[in-house]
Amino acid sequence: MKYLNKLLLVSVLSIFMVLGCSDFLDINEDPNNPTSAPIEGLMTNTTLETGQNTNRVASTTSFFVQHFASPNEDSSTDTHESVSYGGTWANLYFNIGDLLVLIDQADELGAPHYSGTAKVMVAYNLGMLVNMFGDVPFSEGFSDDILQPSYDNSADIYSAILNYLEEAKTELQASESAASPGSDDFIYGGDLAAWTRTAHALEARYRNHYSKLGEYDRTAVLSAVENSFSSNDEDFQISFFDEGIATENPWYRLADNNAGLLLGGWLSDQFVDQLNGETFGLADPRIEFITEPATTEEFEGEYIGTRNGAGRGAAPEQGERAVLAVGSYYASGPTAPLLMATYAEMKFIEAEAALTVDAARAYQAYEEGIRSHMEKLGVAQQDIDDYWNDPSVSVGSANLTIDEIMKEKYVAMFLNPEAWNDARRYDYDYSGFQIPANHNPELNGQMIRLVAYPDSEEQRNQANVPDRTMLDRVFWDQN
Amino acid sequence: MKKSIRYLYTFVLLISCSLVFTLQGHAQGTLSGTVTDSESGEVLIGVNILLIGEDMGVATDENGEFEFTNVSSGTYTLSARYIGYNTYEQQVSISDGEETVVNIGLNESTLELGDVVVTAFGVERDRRAIGYTIQDVSSDEITRTGSGNVLDALQGQVSGVQVNRGGGAGKGSQIFIRGFNSLDPTADNQPLFVVDGVPIDNSTVESNGSPRGMSNRAIDINPDDIESVSVLKSAPATALYGVRAANGAVLITTKQGEPGEIRVNFSHQVSRESVINRPDYQNVYGPGFGFESNPDGFWPSWGAPFSETPELQYYNNWENSMRTGVGIDNSVNISGGTESATFYASVSNSNNRGVVPNNDWDRTSIRLSGELFQGPLTVSASANYINSGGNRVKFIDYMARLSYWNTSADVTDWRFEDGTMKSDSRDGRGSGRNPVYDANVNTFEDDVNRIIGNIRSSYQFADWLSLDYLIGIDTYSDDRTEIEPGPLGLENEFVWSNVGGFIDETRINSRDITSNLSLNMSTDLTQDFGMTLRLGNDVFDRSTNLIRARGQSFVVPRFNHLSNATNVSNAQQLTEKRLIGVYGDLNIDWRDILYLNVTGRNDWTSTLPENNRSFFYPSVSLGAVVSDMVDTPDWLTYAKLRVSYAEVGKDAPPYSTVGVFVAPSIYPIQGTTGFTKGATIASPDLKPERTTSQEVGFDLRFLNNRLGLDLTLYRANSKDMIIPVPVSNATGSSRFITNAGEIENRGIELTLRATPVQMQNFQWNLTSNFTVNRNEVVSIRDGVDAISLGSISAYVNRPFMQLVPGQSYGAIWGTSYERLGADPDSDVLDESLPIVIGEDGFPVINENSLIVGDATPDWTMNVSNTFNYKSWDFNFNVDFVMGVDKYNKLDNWDAAFGHTEKTLNREDRVVFEGVLADGSTNTQEVWLGQGEDPETGRNYGAGYHRNTYRGVIEESVEDASYIKLRNIGLGYSLSDNILENLPFRSVRAGVTANNILLWTPFSQYDPEAFNSSGSNLIGLVDLAYPGTQSLIFSLNFSF
Repeated sequence: MKYLNKLLLVSVLSIFMVLGCSDFLDINEDPNNPTSAPIEGLMTNTTLETGQNTNRVASTTSFFVQHFASPNEDSSTDTHESVSYGGTWANLYFNIGDLLVLIDQADELGAPHYSGTAKVMVAYNLGMLVNMFGDVPFSEGFSDDILQPSYDNSADIYSAILNYLEEAKTELQASESAASPGSDDFIYGGDLAAWTRTAHALEARYRNHYSKLGEYDRTAVLSAVENSFSSNDEDFQISFFDEGIATENPWYRLADNNAGLLLGGWLSDQFVDQLNGETFGLADPRIEFITEPATTEEFEGEYIGTRNGAGRGAAPEQGERAVLAVGSYYASGPTAPLLMATYAEMKFIEAEAALTVDAARAYQAYEEGIRSHMEKLGVAQQDIDDYWNDPSVSVGSANLTIDEIMKEKYVAMFLNPEAWNDARRYDYDYSGFQIPANHNPELNGQMIRLVAYPDSEEQRNQANVPDRTMLDRVFWDQN
Repeated sequence: MKKSIRYLYTFVLLISCSLVFTLQGHAQGTLSGTVTDSESGEVLIGVNILLIGEDMGVATDENGEFEFTNVSSGTYTLSARYIGYNTYEQQVSISDGEETVVNIGLNESTLELGDVVVTAFGVERDRRAIGYTIQDVSSDEITRTGSGNVLDALQGQVSGVQVNRGGGAGKGSQIFIRGFNSLDPTADNQPLFVVDGVPIDNSTVESNGSPRGMSNRAIDINPDDIESVSVLKSAPATALYGVRAANGAVLITTKQGEPGEIRVNFSHQVSRESVINRPDYQNVYGPGFGFESNPDGFWPSWGAPFSETPELQYYNNWENSMRTGVGIDNSVNISGGTESATFYASVSNSNNRGVVPNNDWDRTSIRLSGELFQGPLTVSASANYINSGGNRVKFIDYMARLSYWNTSADVTDWRFEDGTMKSDSRDGRGSGRNPVYDANVNTFEDDVNRIIGNIRSSYQFADWLSLDYLIGIDTYSDDRTEIEPGPLGLENEFVWSNVGGFIDETRINSRDITSNLSLNMSTDLTQDFGMTLRLGNDVFDRSTNLIRARGQSFVVPRFNHLSNATNVSNAQQLTEKRLIGVYGDLNIDWRDILYLNVTGRNDWTSTLPENNRSFFYPSVSLGAVVSDMVDTPDWLTYAKLRVSYAEVGKDAPPYSTVGVFVAPSIYPIQGTTGFTKGATIASPDLKPERTTSQEVGFDLRFLNNRLGLDLTLYRANSKDMIIPVPVSNATGSSRFITNAGEIENRGIELTLRATPVQMQNFQWNLTSNFTVNRNEVVSIRDGVDAISLGSISAYVNRPFMQLVPGQSYGAIWGTSYERLGADPDSDVLDESLPIVIGEDGFPVINENSLIVGDATPDWTMNVSNTFNYKSWDFNFNVDFVMGVDKYNKLDNWDAAFGHTEKTLNREDRVVFEGVLADGSTNTQEVWLGQGEDPETGRNYGAGYHRNTYRGVIEESVEDASYIKLRNIGLGYSLSDNILENLPFRSVRAGVTANNILLWTPFSQYDPEAFNSSGSNLIGLVDLAYPGTQSLIFSLNFSF
């Protein structure tokens, strides 16, 4: 019995001992991921994702502006079907979320340089989001507590965007900052002056979107342009890396996959016909820096685009139709630069803004826009001059209209989401532009103005998703 | 607390009732006697003696004696009952003032395995004492299937259980007991696997990218080492195991040594596997498109007929590219011992080759166990070392490339002399990828080294009190190497790898430790009430470490090594989880007629927040042996009713309570690592899940156990499930982990056992299991309409599975033909409505996905027959699975490429049955071919099969019901006469055929096809590994 008592005591004790050891069970901290991230880490990923998001949005909008066309007939994006762009939506929100965390951390640290840089990127990403989807959640978003955020008016979000740019400009000039971006900044490597110029460039871009609204302030636009880029070297762009497929320039990856018969990056006949001389009677020397001529016997040397919505028909997968070519400027290799906002774009904005008040300035900007873009692609000086000297291009400052400006800007904005903003403001009035074949009958022959909200929103936030069609417009897209 | 008070009250009530019984009395005679074992003469203590008619009952004392006093005169039936013995009954007459003596000899009952079952923690109990359903499978039934995976052996043998297994050497199987009870799409829904009281790891870690059919870890257990398997299906059975057994438990008991002389058993088995149910491919049309021949192009089967192109020949590539699978298993075990010590040792090797080229899998297992008996102390130890692994093939890619392969090229001619790939163009230098090249050159090898060991000790303080302690460890390392060679640098070479080759090294280390301490008391409270009480403490610790290094783009050709890679990336994943539980298991029986079982367990888990970390759950079950309570007709030998109620809790996956930042896998880049906020919003308020289940059933035996019927009705509801609920991305995240939702499983399980023929030399045994289970998603959460389980690819519109309230767990969603008059609010496709035909004469496709099928079966049944005639044994076992749908992606693919016989109608003109949008009957004749119709000139483009058929998921969701001859076998054992002259104790030779398909409407291949044992997408069958049937020859002898 003594034995029994002793053993019972020991077992009971050991049971209680183990129970008492709550330390034994306090092991639920994730050893694989930190609960807070270093500010440099956030900067690295947000700069990379800003470039990736540009590609994601442009991969869709390039079809709407008919830079791209699908090699497959009746492809949904190409024909303006109601497609759910859930991935793009999510990635934009994740990146903006990370940037807001970065800003909070920068505030806590007392690092306005980080905060300013992040605010420029918030403005940029947010701009892409609003211009693609229209009214979107913002003021109630980015919270762990509000799981079904309400939607804000796109006009209000634009005010917030311009506000971010204002604050960024101030913060980037701050004389003291506890920390500043450096090699963790994949876009500018910590060059604050470059970020400041970019803030002005984006301001110019966004203010110019108000062109059809009463509050359009062309003076502010021109002033912003003046403080933005002064040459191609200062462009807002990111060069990717050669450290594995996921780190490569996604346009290069698209072109390389296409060369491996995973089709994509095919050019629309709208774009190709402009470049090869069909539409305007003047061949654009930029064509060989964007694509390659056909190699089949029948069409050797020719540049043939694909009609949007029609697919390639009987044309082979390779060799006949113009595609984004490996080795071209935009897809030269894994480390090719991905353009987000350029000097050329600034010039065209200047030309448009100054058109009605200072024709000479507008014409000069127009010429500089064309030349700078051609130089960026690597066109030979002689070819640039020949192109410029053609009377259809150098029309003279008295004859310059919005049509010439938009025509040239169309080429310069290749692979940039901004091209769709231009097209909508211009009512798609490009020469020869037509609705795609097999066009989505729901749109009644009208061009798309906003994409549909993604399925993830319809399923997870149904009560708040506005009821609108793809013909409804973002606030600046007036008639 | 409320519940425990209720239980206590019932208990007290029962005690008082029995007291009343014994106090009653109004008689004048005495009845007494002694009860002994009729064979050995030993007295039996605690035998229940009932005087039926007087409602008097006593138990025999330590001398085997019983006495009834004050019995009214009359004639009564005296019955004696004792576990392990046949019930004894006789008539007795009591006279006034007289002492009647009756001595009873009880016969040991022929215990079928079905009467003693292994319950939680290895406790053996008599089936009659259990208030819930348990089913077990014997060693013979397991080895008879010849399968190397213990899971496969359970298929069809146990009601309420669904096993997915199929093809592939080393391919993992999965087992579902009573449906799915989790809304978490990543939950593994597998029961707990326990070997000799120690839970073991049965997880499946699938390969990255395209699945290769990685093994479920229970595949490491050598089936020849198994004595029996008990399947605990529901909460009352598993309540003692705690959170990990919320999906049921599979208890494996291994063979132990017996005292006596040393026995040696040797078994050898050879099996040949071949593909089951080949697709019905057409060999009429050759490669090309639009009826034009092009043997060098992309299209394998839309071209001109072979009859028109005599220079081309048809190759049956699908058949030719599969080889005969072979399995060789050898196993030897030695056991023996004395009264004070026994041992068991076994060595086995399994060597398997799958039907897909270069797919193989081997396992070597060495096991040693022993038991020591020293008076009140018993100590046993066991150690099992296993080495397993093989080369795995990406079967989805393999099947896809076979679909793309030109039928005029021989796929088995896969390389040139210099080792580079041969394509399907005439010169072999095209771009069509050769799947056989892929299987042979791009390798994925896994090598698992595992040790499962335990030490248990039991100290018997008194005959009613003992203390048991068990400590067990299951640790393994899983080394995986995947190699895709880079370019060889040869002229005209087709470079397979688009990243310049890569090597991917993964190292998984896992360690589980279990400790179990229990105090067992077993006594008779009074003469009528017996009790066993078990109090225990259970501690579990699991830690896993996964490290991965991937090197890409080799510099030097043919040198596949991390040091030779241009880019190296890596990843690491650590997981740790601990669980402490205390439990109590109380059994009270009244006169061996009424059994009450009450359990309670409290768990503390590391994965829930500190204030919600502890949770308690009880269970209660009641069994009543009705046949011993009332007079039943002779033909009803035994009748027992059981009813039970139980709750089980479940905890969260580790690290769900705090939000984190994550470094995406592409980093580091330029020496910098980026971070992003994790996509999951954690919840600091998580509480445990709870499953409540109720069960009622009966067990009837007729005609002296010649016929048995066991019926169970059950219902289980799981609530507050910890699931990642999708949230609007505008929050900056994708998911929110929270408690939500309710899932219900309810059903019927019926088991029939019969011995229709029982003669001297011939016996026929029949067992049949029938199961119906309805698995419904009751609710999720306000604002969440659906939880996505996943999708797989299809040409145009992906089919997917998602959990929607009010629908079955197995609902398959996809596009369908538009139907006239369809209810726009209904999620389910109404196939009875007429199809809408468009203006172009072809059926209109409804792009909005609807539920087009259900992957959970309507009912399943298994009928197993064993015949024994002298030295011969013969068995066959038929499986019926009815009313299950699956998306047949192979059909969708092959139709898009013109391979199937279905596409032979490509030159036909048809009028599609259906109505136009206005309701009028369709009369338009259309041509099913490609290109321009020679008669009308109308251009049909890519043709009906590509334009219409392949975009309609409804067409490819097929009825995957089947009837299979699960196995059929014949064996011959040498008779005792012959054996006397030989040095052997027993010799048996047998031949078995497994998995013969008798009937299925499923086209193309095995209706049991599934993707991976790590996936819940049971209704979406990707291009699965071909199912196989096998022919097995076995030889067993012992000496």
